[in-house]
Amino acid sequence: MLSRSSISRNAPRALAAGRRAMASAANPTFQYDVSEASGVKVANREVGGATGTLALVAKAGSRYQPFPGFSDALEKFAFKTTLKRSALRITREVELLGGEISASHSRENVVLRAKFLSGDLPYFTELLAEVASSTKFADHELSEVVSDLLKLKQQAVYSNPESVAVDAAHGVAFHRGLGSAQTPSQSTPYEKYVSGDALAQFAQDAYAKSNVALVATGPNSADVTKWVGQFFKDLPAGATSGQYKVQPTQASKYYGGEQRIPSKAGNSVVIAFPGSSAFGTAGFKAEASVLAALLGGESTIKWTPGFSLLSQATKGFNQINISTKNLAYSDAGLFTVTLSGQADQIAAASKNVVDVLKKAAAGEVASEDIKKAIALAKFRALESLQTLDTGLEATGSGLVHGSKPYQIGEIAQAVEKVSEQQVKETAQSFLSGKATLISVGDVHQLPYAEDIGLTV
Amino acid sequence: MSAPSIANYIVKRPWLKRWMTPLANWYTDAAGYRKLGLKFDDLIPEESENVQKAIKRLPAKEAYDRVFRIRRAFQCSISHTLLPANEQIKPEEDVEYLSPIIREVEKEAKERAELETLTLRK
Repeated sequence: MLSRSSISRNAPRALAAGRRAMASAANPTFQYDVSEASGVKVANREVGGATGTLALVAKAGSRYQPFPGFSDALEKFAFKTTLKRSALRITREVELLGGEISASHSRENVVLRAKFLSGDLPYFTELLAEVASSTKFADHELSEVVSDLLKLKQQAVYSNPESVAVDAAHGVAFHRGLGSAQTPSQSTPYEKYVSGDALAQFAQDAYAKSNVALVATGPNSADVTKWVGQFFKDLPAGATSGQYKVQPTQASKYYGGEQRIPSKAGNSVVIAFPGSSAFGTAGFKAEASVLAALLGGESTIKWTPGFSLLSQATKGFNQINISTKNLAYSDAGLFTVTLSGQADQIAAASKNVVDVLKKAAAGEVASEDIKKAIALAKFRALESLQTLDTGLEATGSGLVHGSKPYQIGEIAQAVEKVSEQQVKETAQSFLSGKATLISVGDVHQLPYAEDIGLTV
Repeated sequence: MSAPSIANYIVKRPWLKRWMTPLANWYTDAAGYRKLGLKFDDLIPEESENVQKAIKRLPAKEAYDRVFRIRRAFQCSISHTLLPANEQIKPEEDVEYLSPIIREVEKEAKERAELETLTLRK
C-alpha cells in the first residue's frame, strides 16, 4: 500500500514531470512543414523512421455531399479500377510492396491513407494521385462491389444504437450540412442518386487541387514535395458545373430538439449541446474540452471509476457506459454525453447527468477536479494530434478548411489557460440554451427531456 | 466465347477484305437470324461464367431489349413465321452490344489468372 505521505511526496514530482514533457512537446519534429506543390497543399512531419504514412484529405465528407450516400460511395470507390490499372492489380502490387491502403470518411472529409516502407514513397504518391485523378467509376463495379460494401457499412452503423443516436443528434442539432447522416440509413432512398457518372462528376470536384491536402509523416519533406509536385500535376482543376458538385460551405447553425427512435438493437441516450469547433477556427473554446474531461464518465485508469463527475455520480449503475465528448468540426462543435446500456438504468442515470451539469453550472466543483480535467483535456488534445489515425485527418482538415495547421504548443497553452469561471459559464450556457436529446432503443422506458430537466 | 475465326486475318489485308465483304454480307443475311429479329450478339452461348457476368453488366435498357428480341424470336420459331420486313433487324442495327463487355470480363479473368500465378524475380 502507498502511504498518504508517499503520495503527497510524489504528486508534485509528477506535476513537474508533466511540465517537462510539455517543454519537449514544442520539439520541432512534432510540427508539420507546410508547403505547396503544383497547387496542392502538403504538410509533412519528418520522423526519419523506416516507414512512412501518406494521407490525402479531401473536403468531401457527408457535410459537403450533394445527395445522400455520395461520400460513402466515393470512399468505397477508392483504390478501385482506374484508367491505368485494375483494382485487383492495385491490391496485388500493394501487397507485394508490403504496404497498407485504406479509405474512410467523416462528416467533413474523405481520407485516403497509405502506409509503406520509406523507399516506396514515389509508388504510393503516384497511387494516391491516380486514385484521385483517374478512377473509372464503372457502373458494374458500383453494383458488384461498392453497393455491397455500402450495405455492410450501413448494417454495421445502424446495428449500433450509440452510433444511431450520435448521428441523430447531429441531424437534430444542425439539420442540413453537418446534420446530414454520415452513412445513409437502410431506409434512405440513396440508390436513385448514386450512379457511376454522378460519382465521377462528384470526384472531379472532390479531388480538385483546391479541395485536397496531402499529409505525410515519416519521409523527408523535400522528397514529399518533389513527388507530390510530379504526380499531382494532373489532378482535376475542379469547378465542374452541374448538380453533383461538392456543396459550398454553409455556416452551421445550432437548432436543438428532441428525437426518439425505437430500436431493438440496444439502448442509447445522447444529450448534446453546442460545443467548441476545431482548434485554429473562430469557434474554438478550450473550456468545452475541459468540461468534457470534467464530466467524463469513462475512466482513464483501470479498476477505478476515476475522478470525473459523471462516473462518480453514476457509480451505482453498473450496466451502462457513459462518455462525454466534444465533437469538433471546422465551424461548429457538438458537446455530447452518451449513455448506453440497460434502458431502466439509462433512464435513472440521465437525471444524474443533468444534476451534475447543474452542479458544474453553479460552480460546486472542487478546483482540484478542474485541474485534473485540464490535464486530461490537454493530454487528449495532444494525443489525438500525435496518433496517426486522428492526427493526419485533423492536420489535413485544418489545411483544406483554410484555418491554420495545428500547432501543438498553442493548443496546450489554450487548454492550460482555462479558468474555473469559464468552465462554469460554459455549463451555464448549456443549461440556458436549447439542448438536444436523442433516445434510441426501448423508448417506453427512456426519458423525455422534460423528465430529466432539460429544455429543448 | 466463339469458334476460331479468320476474321482478323482478312481484316488486316484490305484487298482480301474488299473481296470478302459482299460475300460476308450475303452469308450473314442468309443465316437468317436478322429475319427473326435477333442481333448477332444474341446468339452468343450464355452458358459460361464470363457471358453471364457480361449480361449482368448490360445497362437496364439493353438487357430489356435483349430479352424482348429473344422472346420474339422464340415466338417466330414456334409459329414457323418470319417477322415482317419492317420489324427485321437491319444490318446497321446489328452492332456489337455484348461482345465488348465479354472481352472486358475475359481480360479481367485473364489478369486475375496471371496475377494468381505470378512468379517474382528480384
